[in-house]
Amino acid sequence: MIGILGQAALSLAFVSAILATWFYYRAAQKGGQKNESIANALFFLKGAFTFFASGLLVYLIFTHQFQYYYVYNYTSSDLQNVYLWAAFYSGQEGSLLLWVLSSFLVGLAIIRWTTPDYRAPVMVFMGMTQVFLLSMVSGFPIPGWGDLGASPFRTLASEMPNSPVFQANPDFVPAEGSGLNDLLRSPWIIIHPPVIFLGFAMMTVPYAFALASLWKRRYHEWIHPALPWTLGANLCLLTAIFLGGYWAYVTLSFGGYWAWDPVENASLVPWIFGMAGIHAMLIQKKHASSHKASIIFAILAYVTIVYQTFLTRSGILGDSSVHSFVDLGLYNHLLLFILVVGGVGFGLLAYRYRELPEPKKESPILSREFMMFSGAMVLFLAGLVIILGTSSPILGRLFVDNPTPPDQQFYNNWTLPFGVLIGIMTVVTQVLWWKRHNAESLASVLIAPTLIASAITLTAVVWVDMRNIWWMVYLFAAVFAVAGNGHVMYQIIRKNPRRAGGTLTHIGFAVLMIGFLGSGFDRPMVDQRTRDYNRAVAAGQVLDDDGFRVNQPIEFVELEKGTPKLIDGRYMVTYLSGVITEHNRPGEQEYEILFEDVQSGRSFVMRPTVYPMLSNSSPGAVEWTVDPDVRTGWFSDIFMYVAGSALVDREIERMNRENPGQFQTIDQLGPQMADHDPEETLVRVRRGGTVQIGEYTVTFDNFVYVDEAELPENSIIGVKADLLLVHRESGESIQIQPMYILASDDEAQYAFNPPVSFALPGAQRDLNYDSQHEASTISPSYTPGNDTSTDSPSDAPRYGAPGYGKSAYADGTESREEALTGSVRFREVHPDSDEIELAFRGVEGEPEREWILLAAEHKPLISVVWLGTFLLMFGFSVSIMYRWADQKKREAQQKDSPDSGMSGSGKSGTEKRATGNHGPEKHEDEAKDIGQDDAEDKVGGEDLADSKGQHREKEQRPHPTELK
Amino acid sequence: MRPRLVFGIAGIIVFTSLVMYNFSQSISSYVDFEQATGMEGNRIHVIGTWDNSQPAGFSTETMTFSFFMTDEAGNTRRVTYPRPKPNNFEQADQIVVIGEMRGDTFVSRDMLVKCPSKYNDAVNPELSELQ
Repeated sequence: MIGILGQAALSLAFVSAILATWFYYRAAQKGGQKNESIANALFFLKGAFTFFASGLLVYLIFTHQFQYYYVYNYTSSDLQNVYLWAAFYSGQEGSLLLWVLSSFLVGLAIIRWTTPDYRAPVMVFMGMTQVFLLSMVSGFPIPGWGDLGASPFRTLASEMPNSPVFQANPDFVPAEGSGLNDLLRSPWIIIHPPVIFLGFAMMTVPYAFALASLWKRRYHEWIHPALPWTLGANLCLLTAIFLGGYWAYVTLSFGGYWAWDPVENASLVPWIFGMAGIHAMLIQKKHASSHKASIIFAILAYVTIVYQTFLTRSGILGDSSVHSFVDLGLYNHLLLFILVVGGVGFGLLAYRYRELPEPKKESPILSREFMMFSGAMVLFLAGLVIILGTSSPILGRLFVDNPTPPDQQFYNNWTLPFGVLIGIMTVVTQVLWWKRHNAESLASVLIAPTLIASAITLTAVVWVDMRNIWWMVYLFAAVFAVAGNGHVMYQIIRKNPRRAGGTLTHIGFAVLMIGFLGSGFDRPMVDQRTRDYNRAVAAGQVLDDDGFRVNQPIEFVELEKGTPKLIDGRYMVTYLSGVITEHNRPGEQEYEILFEDVQSGRSFVMRPTVYPMLSNSSPGAVEWTVDPDVRTGWFSDIFMYVAGSALVDREIERMNRENPGQFQTIDQLGPQMADHDPEETLVRVRRGGTVQIGEYTVTFDNFVYVDEAELPENSIIGVKADLLLVHRESGESIQIQPMYILASDDEAQYAFNPPVSFALPGAQRDLNYDSQHEASTISPSYTPGNDTSTDSPSDAPRYGAPGYGKSAYADGTESREEALTGSVRFREVHPDSDEIELAFRGVEGEPEREWILLAAEHKPLISVVWLGTFLLMFGFSVSIMYRWADQKKREAQQKDSPDSGMSGSGKSGTEKRATGNHGPEKHEDEAKDIGQDDAEDKVGGEDLADSKGQHREKEQRPHPTELK
Repeated sequence: MRPRLVFGIAGIIVFTSLVMYNFSQSISSYVDFEQATGMEGNRIHVIGTWDNSQPAGFSTETMTFSFFMTDEAGNTRRVTYPRPKPNNFEQADQIVVIGEMRGDTFVSRDMLVKCPSKYNDAVNPELSELQ
């Protein structure tokens, strides 16, 4: 019922979107307030329907109505409320719905804040994209064809009509859902996806503005309102990328923040093209050139978003990405979306191409216009390379049959030189932006940063023993960028801090570049022996069993509980404990690892966890996954996780025992302790240490010195070992103290160490004990107090009193009483390693130490990456605030002066353009030329751009495109 | 605009050619084990599924994870991987191993495990599970 209501709401929203777009079209074409009002009303209606439908979906999720496919697939009843909320957008349909909602909110902002002249045409294109997005979730029934798109309100029954469950009972409601993927149960899911979709929605704005300008032939003004939106979109995408990277870094054992995966590239490339567009728009503001570039990049940024959406959601990338997005049947839909968006965009561009203004004079190379434009082109090319790599399943077919994605080196090889180029160019452009230079003056300004960069690079090269020349060049460029931009920033802050946004972002980017370099110096933290082994591997000296060369170094350290090891030449690492705490999830194990820095004396404890992904596991497979722990430092991080442990193995065994045949798991073989003699089990245990044997845990607490009186004659020394034997399952334990006496007679020394018998703890209640012991000949049935023998032909044991039954089995095997006792002998003392050797009988199982496999990595400069990202974000924010305020003033001005540029026909604008004058358009202004004299009073504040602005414009010299 | 335009276009052509060349060198093809046996290089991609009828395990002695994999042509071979079992291994729809064939064993350096992600269709609910 609710589902039908939701579906209806979405279908109505779809229809409203179509109608709204139509009315916006009419309003833009013919003018008239009425058309626009109707369109606005329809748009609001569409938003209302979408919100209503979303609310219904959220309601369905929170009330656990598993008869709906979406609710079943992504939630379960044990999911906490925050994750129920996140489940709303965890699936494909829901995330599209979130995108629609964000687009709607962006549309509202456009309606509210854009100049009236632009409103209708811009909304036409905004509406068009929303029609497509809605069509993908509406489930709108088209007679004769089926449902349009994939509605989140589909019922389970309609999805799987052939399943026997539904054929038997069409009203069946599952009791439980599949649950949310464990890896997604992280606080980051609350913020990361919404920010992405907000970024996608905001990137529609420059696209819509560019197309509106092409349609209405107003090629100059659109960049002014569009610029803050583009900046905002880029900020959102940047934040989303950062969140995704950080989330991956702290959650996955991958240990990195970027993998060039198609989903990651899907937000990066639009960001890059958006940046190119921003640079083009900035030049256009000042210099009235690059009109084509601004429009092209604005269109391209959004087209890229849709293209990447197509790549990731259509299933075409199937084999090549770890994010496998199965085709929801939306392939054709998405294909149509990209074709229309691209076709309309580039089609309009081609149609109006000849009308687009061209700058009359060319700028010299050392001018800001040329440098900015080149910068935009460099960004464009970089984005192109990345998109090429991401499209390898399509483009790779030109070369091979079944193309794989490119090797990661491909991306690194190309982005490195681009990084160098961008680093250097940002400095040159920034310097030129604020003041005109010729070659000599430019060179003199750049000497200081060059020297600083050289000095720092040389120092770094020597210090870390950098061999790769490309890296040296890269580092030089990055430091040069920091120094050069820093110099400019210092001057701006002194005069007008509000304009520091651009420079700040450049510094942030350069810092980011330095941080990236750190990842080339990651090293696994291992002990000396492993390091020597790895060195041998690298030298090609290690061969495997078949005689082939081993190429893989070992990156793990095996730790035994309580035994410290020195790793990385610097830290003493001790495995302290591993317990099942079930803190956040069922079956969760928390480990404590102690790190002691031998150099500084400081110590800290790291707490990685391991847990079974029970909600992911279907019958047949239990997956274990890890939650790494990261110790963040100023200059490097320690990243580590537990890759395996005896505790995990035991849990797997326990699960297998409790549900035989249900879970198919993979054993992790622990280190072999000793040859396992079924008769006698030999074990070495350290003082204070523990050993696992089968179901038991043996702890050797300490030596107990034996009183002289108790010792036989000729004894030299006698000790007892204080042992505690615990049956893990039942928790029962017993204390045993076997004795070891060293005695001598005249000729020789001999050891006297009698075995000590004991009752195996926990054995009497262990009904399965017999079934293991006797294989399949017994059905374990316990009838208390029944000691009449059964007449069954099988060798059913007879149980008398609980525990020690006295019957012997018909097949002559040992009686229960024997089977329930064990013995231990104190065989040997090893004083040098503080260990003792024990021989157990009757205790089944192979002895294992409490071991873990630790994977630890030393990762330099990670914090620098985060710092760079924050600087970038901060710079963007400053820019947005400045541009937004500037735009407001501009619009206020335009209201005052009636013949400001928004006239109906675009021709007058074009003509004015041709004279090289800026015309009535608000000249962005101001203190670009910091060194200029008359700039002094401009510098004070933005208030300049207002009422005085108009006069100032006329006074100004005709816009100088060339100097000298 | 003439000299600059020419320069720009020439630059773009050179650039694109370089990228395409480099790109073609960086990709390879998915092959099966039979084809992999004859191939050179150590970045051969084989795609397939885990053969769970055969033993699989990670040994802390040799620090390798070994298992058996069936490729899309139906060949089954033993595969070794130098790290512990990756997450999601048992539930993977498909596994891609990247490495080289040595004798009868495929020695892989990298492994991509395709996890049935959030966008995947639900596993068909078992009758017993639902009732």
